[in-house]
Amino acid sequence: MINNKKAYFNKVIMVLKKVLPPFITIFAFLLIYFPIMVITLLSFNDSKKDYTFRGFSLRWYREILLDDDLFLAIFNTLTIAILSTIIATIVGTITAIGINSLTKNNRIKMMILNNVPVINPDIVTGISIMLVLGLFPISFGMKTMLLAHVFFSIPFVVLTVLPKLKELDPNLFDAALDLGCTRFKAIRKVIIPSIKTGIIGGALIAFTMSIDDFVISYFTTGPAFQNVSIYIYTSLGRKSFSPAVYSYNTLVVFVTIFTLLIINKFNKKQKV
Amino acid sequence: MHRLKKLSLPYLIWMIVLVVAPSILILILSFSDLDIYNLGSFKFSLEHVRELNRPEIIVAVKNSIRLSFYATLACFVIGYPVAYYLANMKSKNKTLLVTLLIVPVWSNMILRIIAWEKLFYPKSILNDVFNLSLDLIGKDIAIIIGMVSLYLPFMVLPIYSVLEKMDKSLIEASKDLGANGFVTFKRVILPLSMSGVVSGTIMTLLPAMTAFALPERLSRGKTLLLGNIIEEYFVSSNKMNLGSLISIMLMGVIVIMFVAILKFDKEGETLI
Repeated sequence: MINNKKAYFNKVIMVLKKVLPPFITIFAFLLIYFPIMVITLLSFNDSKKDYTFRGFSLRWYREILLDDDLFLAIFNTLTIAILSTIIATIVGTITAIGINSLTKNNRIKMMILNNVPVINPDIVTGISIMLVLGLFPISFGMKTMLLAHVFFSIPFVVLTVLPKLKELDPNLFDAALDLGCTRFKAIRKVIIPSIKTGIIGGALIAFTMSIDDFVISYFTTGPAFQNVSIYIYTSLGRKSFSPAVYSYNTLVVFVTIFTLLIINKFNKKQKV
Repeated sequence: MHRLKKLSLPYLIWMIVLVVAPSILILILSFSDLDIYNLGSFKFSLEHVRELNRPEIIVAVKNSIRLSFYATLACFVIGYPVAYYLANMKSKNKTLLVTLLIVPVWSNMILRIIAWEKLFYPKSILNDVFNLSLDLIGKDIAIIIGMVSLYLPFMVLPIYSVLEKMDKSLIEASKDLGANGFVTFKRVILPLSMSGVVSGTIMTLLPAMTAFALPERLSRGKTLLLGNIIEEYFVSSNKMNLGSLISIMLMGVIVIMFVAILKFDKEGETLI
């Protein structure tokens, strides 16, 4: 009898072990994707009132082009994201190469400094930059926001590029120099090609962080320059919220998922 | 390779200007009567320390600790099994699934908060779709659900990357030596994935503690967190000195966590 009970108990545990993890994984994905599903649904809603679904319509997708303020905010978001990604990727890669050739102790010190903005809550980073920039006679707007985005993106580029540099044989660079390369040429021809995946990964993270940022942008921009997040936040306060932002967001998410699926297919084909 | 170390010098100066300088400025503001708009001589004073017992600050500290604790705990309880399941998966689509965890970050954060907000009012599209009515705005659970949905990927990814790299033969060795599944998990898997758990906890806890748009929207401005207090002191009411003092206290918490990370992971590479 006792043995039976124990066997039964063990069987239940075995089944739970098999079933529970995939079940929790599905639950987690639902929890993360639920707001996105709601946004998608609301983007097709034929009503301005977003507490009731009136029927299917594309009017909010047309509205993206007609709403000048929203269109400008989207344009600003993309401009800042592209510029800050380019600058942060170049500077971050060069910096990572520099950090990699430091002695171990100095490298750890630099990495501690590098990780401060990564760990700091956005609000602390935001007020820090606001305070420093406030000391200079510049007006807050696009330039200050761009500087802030470059600032919080570089550490992520350094963190993705550095592990790739560590895998690299340090003698390769010296060999290139011995064979008559200039230092610049050795970096371009030897180091950069071997750390390419790290650079691309870093650029992707930088772009992602920039396109979605609200808190740091909120503290480092002026009244005349808004990105999408700030536009949404202030339009809620003014009660002028337009469901067109749902459509914009749905477009961004689906373009991203679509691109990922294509990359995934492409990678699989390459492996075969 | 050592000839390249100069490349990290500009970054050092940049970080001193944008990380070290504002930290010192915030420290001075916290313990003096310095007026940031009117820089001049200042006197050391503990006036702001005495102001810390303002009722709104005490409430915000309690709210921040309580809500971020529950949210982080929920993220860990859900996130660990997900990370474990994904790391041990043998499917070809493993990378795709992991990438899908990051995709929602591309969707605007403010908009995802608004999506939850719309659902938590008694009159929502849930009535039309599921014939269901929730009334959660202003309750703790609304904020916790919002936080878990937003920050769960930040818990899963660091744990996943550690579990993925883990040598699987260690688990077999533990089983060969007679340990059952639970003991293997407790003695082998969990300690080896601790660095991922620590960075995941920090990446969830800090944003949850300092969130300000999220509690504002999901409680109709009733539940204040530290982020709301800092934002108010810096932006609306001109109490930068007191705001700085609260930020300094937050930085203290961050430093403690930083030390925790360094203990497990010398160069902070599990952060991403």
